[in-house]
Amino acid sequence: MTEDTVLSRETIARLTLNTEPWLSCDACFEQVDVALEALFGSSVPPVAELRAHLRGCATCHEEAQSLAALVADQYDMAASVAVARLDIAITTAGA
Amino acid sequence: MGDVETLIVEYRHPISRHDDAAARHDDAAGRHDDAAPPDAEWVTRLSATGRVRAVAVGHLHELMLRAAGHQVGRMPEAGRLGAARRAEIVHSAADAATVSVLSRLESFEGRSRFTTWAYKFAILHAGVEVRRAAWRDREVPLREVPEVPDGRDAAMSSPEAYVEVRELAEAVREGIGAALTPHQRRIMIAVLIDEVPIDVLAERLETTRGALYKTLHDGRQRLRAFLSERGFMSARGPKEVDS
Repeated sequence: MTEDTVLSRETIARLTLNTEPWLSCDACFEQVDVALEALFGSSVPPVAELRAHLRGCATCHEEAQSLAALVADQYDMAASVAVARLDIAITTAGA
Repeated sequence: MGDVETLIVEYRHPISRHDDAAARHDDAAGRHDDAAPPDAEWVTRLSATGRVRAVAVGHLHELMLRAAGHQVGRMPEAGRLGAARRAEIVHSAADAATVSVLSRLESFEGRSRFTTWAYKFAILHAGVEVRRAAWRDREVPLREVPEVPDGRDAAMSSPEAYVEVRELAEAVREGIGAALTPHQRRIMIAVLIDEVPIDVLAERLETTRGALYKTLHDGRQRLRAFLSERGFMSARGPKEVDS
């Protein structure tokens, strides 16, 4: 790394993300199916812990998006709409 | 979930044409329904014996194949593996997920549909297998000093914005060096700067996704405290990347 290099905004945001309240990857896995059904079926946003985790763990987030896309048709939604609803819920709900 | 490896054991289809004793000795009552179970009956049928269970397990395996195929199809890194390897991963992940679901039936509380609950096992197994396959021949960098290209990104539209982000970036770089433990530094640089998938790093370091995520969580808190003490953090995050 030289004097002329700089971390991008995106990288800085990833490094300094607030991932409180704490939730483990295991607990995220346990909760994500219930949370998605509550979101799509009743418009209940995920709890703060799950939102923080999905913002902070790229792999759990990607898997949650995949599950959302897979169950979308049960709620008469396109997969892309389900994924968008999830992402809006984790980035805005309760923020 | 962090014990993914312990869930992956050999799957053997229970209604194989050649050697399944359950299928040969089923009773007449067991033949009543070869269709996929309604959602409320999955656990009952998977917990049964004989042909009822065998048929249900077959349907479960089909569900897991569908979910694993869905997951593999979504992952850009899977595209580079070739069709044969992708198919292999789909079947392997479906087998492992079937075993995982069967071994955890007692933990299913009915708080979601059974199919939604089961799908996540296939997505997990397929995701892990694709990431590991994609990185199989790649070196995982574990550095203590971030090395990144010039970050004058498109969002920095003015020289002033560039200077502000540059000052923040220098503070972040200083914080990485001063506020983090060597372990936190290596993990944060690998996952958050070099974008090594957390599963891949966990495998190389013989640890779990959960343990590495905890390291990221703790490191982020330390870095935020370091930046906050120096006036770079607002309540929402770094002042210069808030907008």
